[in-house]
Amino acid sequence: MRILFFLALLAAAPSYAHKPSDSYLTLHADGRTLRGQWDIALRDLEYAVGLDADGDGAITWGELKAKQAEVDAYVLARVALRADGGECRLRPAEHLVDDHSDGAYAVLRFAAECPAESFKTVEVEYSLFFDLDPTHRGLLRVERGGDTTTGILSPERPRFEVSAEGRSKLRQFADYVREGVWHIWIGFDHILFLVSLLLPSVFVFANKQWSPAARFRDTFWDVFKVATSFTVAHSITLSLAALSVIVLPSRLVESTIALSVVLAALNNIWPVVHGRRWAVAFGFGLVHGFGFASVLADLGLPRDTLLLALVGFNVGVELGQLAIISVFLPIAYVIRATWAYRRVVFVGGSAAIVLIAATWLVERAFDVKLY
Amino acid sequence: MLRIGAALLFAASVAAAAPYVPKDDATVLERLPGRRSDPAIAELRQLRAALAAAPKNADAATRLAQRYFDLANAEGDPRYVGYAEAALRPWPGETAPAEVLFTRGLLRQYRHDFAGALKDFDLALAREPRHLGSHAWRAAIFMVQADYRAAARECAALGEIASELMSTGCLAYVEATTGKTRDAYVRLAAALERRAGASAETRLWTLTRLAEMAWRLGDTALAERQFGEALKLGVTDNFLLAAYADFLLEQGRPKEVVALLQDWVRSDTLLLRLAIAEQRLKLPAAQPHIQALGERFAAASLRGERLHMGEEARFLLDLKGDARAALAVALDNWKEQREPRDALVVLEAAAAARDAKAAAPVLQWLDETRFESERMRRAAAALR
Repeated sequence: MRILFFLALLAAAPSYAHKPSDSYLTLHADGRTLRGQWDIALRDLEYAVGLDADGDGAITWGELKAKQAEVDAYVLARVALRADGGECRLRPAEHLVDDHSDGAYAVLRFAAECPAESFKTVEVEYSLFFDLDPTHRGLLRVERGGDTTTGILSPERPRFEVSAEGRSKLRQFADYVREGVWHIWIGFDHILFLVSLLLPSVFVFANKQWSPAARFRDTFWDVFKVATSFTVAHSITLSLAALSVIVLPSRLVESTIALSVVLAALNNIWPVVHGRRWAVAFGFGLVHGFGFASVLADLGLPRDTLLLALVGFNVGVELGQLAIISVFLPIAYVIRATWAYRRVVFVGGSAAIVLIAATWLVERAFDVKLY
Repeated sequence: MLRIGAALLFAASVAAAAPYVPKDDATVLERLPGRRSDPAIAELRQLRAALAAAPKNADAATRLAQRYFDLANAEGDPRYVGYAEAALRPWPGETAPAEVLFTRGLLRQYRHDFAGALKDFDLALAREPRHLGSHAWRAAIFMVQADYRAAARECAALGEIASELMSTGCLAYVEATTGKTRDAYVRLAAALERRAGASAETRLWTLTRLAEMAWRLGDTALAERQFGEALKLGVTDNFLLAAYADFLLEQGRPKEVVALLQDWVRSDTLLLRLAIAEQRLKLPAAQPHIQALGERFAAASLRGERLHMGEEARFLLDLKGDARAALAVALDNWKEQREPRDALVVLEAAAAARDAKAAAPVLQWLDETRFESERMRRAAAALR
């Protein structure tokens, strides 16, 4: 009994190598068909069904396969799916394995055959492991047409009902467009980068200095080239990052974005690149795309409508960009020859942007807060 | 750009989902805590069989539940607490044998239901006033809740029913948190001296406490010696390793932390310290370890339970550099847990986020307890 007391004070620092037992039940519904994936920890199946046939303390794929039918029967008897109240019959389709953060899970993919031809609601009733471990939870995720609903199933609340109808594709697309516009609007670093590149568009570079452009056509094409290459570049990296082809650490991405703003604004004050600013826009656009991708990931990327989300978000970003350009360009063009534009807006504005972006750069690169 | 951190967490939890079909039947998917023939596993099987034969037998149920509880602590696997709860299911109400009530309280405090646990221990003491474990655990919970007067009362109650080392340890623990560290150290060291035959676990606990007290008092050489003696006992203990790793990190000795914790990636608390050390040394292993921690926190939050917010705050502050998010989690944690390390992470996160106002409750705690620690003092000074 003595040890107990000492344990008492030790246990004030609980350390969980694992989390409590959870299973992950994901359902895909589209109003007509219903299928699911169920990830169940091997540790839990071992306790409930017994998988380690040779008793050597290790569960092999062979041992799991040998017990597959028994496992299917055990777990499928402990979940009920109802479509519009009609009981669905669950049929195992595929057996896989997945590694979660706390160990290996058996993955059971199944199809549900429901009596109703089409249905509006799906009800889940769950009782897996509740008799053995009252702290077990079923983490439910219902995906339908780009919409995701989540729920936690427990002995106290073993039932969950969701609508099986998602938003229409058009609605989803519109939502992603809106998110894209919103992100450009609140993403000051992107706006400042764009503005830094746009400021000299109403000039031409000659005799080692900026002077007002003579024709609107030249300005327009300059802006067109800059904006298009920025767009193409960030669309490429946004797609690559969203599809997890390339993953970069966020600190690197965010620091480089800040650096791009500093350099773009500095270039206005001390011109180094003038003819090929579209190439600069392209190069740094690649980095900005990674920044957009993290936002898109934040929104929760639906697997089945990934393309729709990508295109929608991108279109939104472009629309936001266009809006900024269409406000900025006519005004800048009209006042391009004035002292106020050339000195205050162009030089003063660029200097201000350098200062702001340099602050970001230091903050992001060295992980400090400057103001 | 605050959302970046959350986005990464989300991405990390999604990235984990890539089911596959193993190539070979012999592929090992999961390692269990032991072989079927291991004595500990065999003993567990016997206890389970005994309970299965008589599910309403309070003796069999508490024995199995306490065994599971020990396993949960030793292996850091909360599943066992769930199994233990299942064993106690026949006694849901207030009328049950003292040992059942006590065990139920143990399980409740494990899940941070401190109010429920205190009530269970109270019920157990009402049936059996000299119930040692109930007094001890009440002291532990009051310490976590920073109710030092109540904790001292429990220690006094222990004085009549427990050994001298035990009640001295209890009181020293309270005093060392309330500005009387030096006295506490002297008395606890003397009590350990007088009890040569103490068990290894008891010595381990006492030495760890002594090391922490010496460290707080600024005597790092003495602390080092006490930690060393505790480690030499050869009892693996998550808490000792964590405390020693914190000590080494503060002394600027991350290399030794890497050597110490190399094989402890399974434990969240220790993986956190390992990753901090690796990051300071700019080792390539830091990145995957940080990602693994992120995945574990993300997985835990999916469940809607956040039992290790103190660790999560440390993770956000030291490894993710997200002071604001760290401060929010640290403050949530402070509502529930008020031990010195919980206070420290609030202060340091608040300093990093330049939000002294948010740390006001912790600064007040510091004023009231006059807790002695150089690091805590510095963190507080930065805010004042």
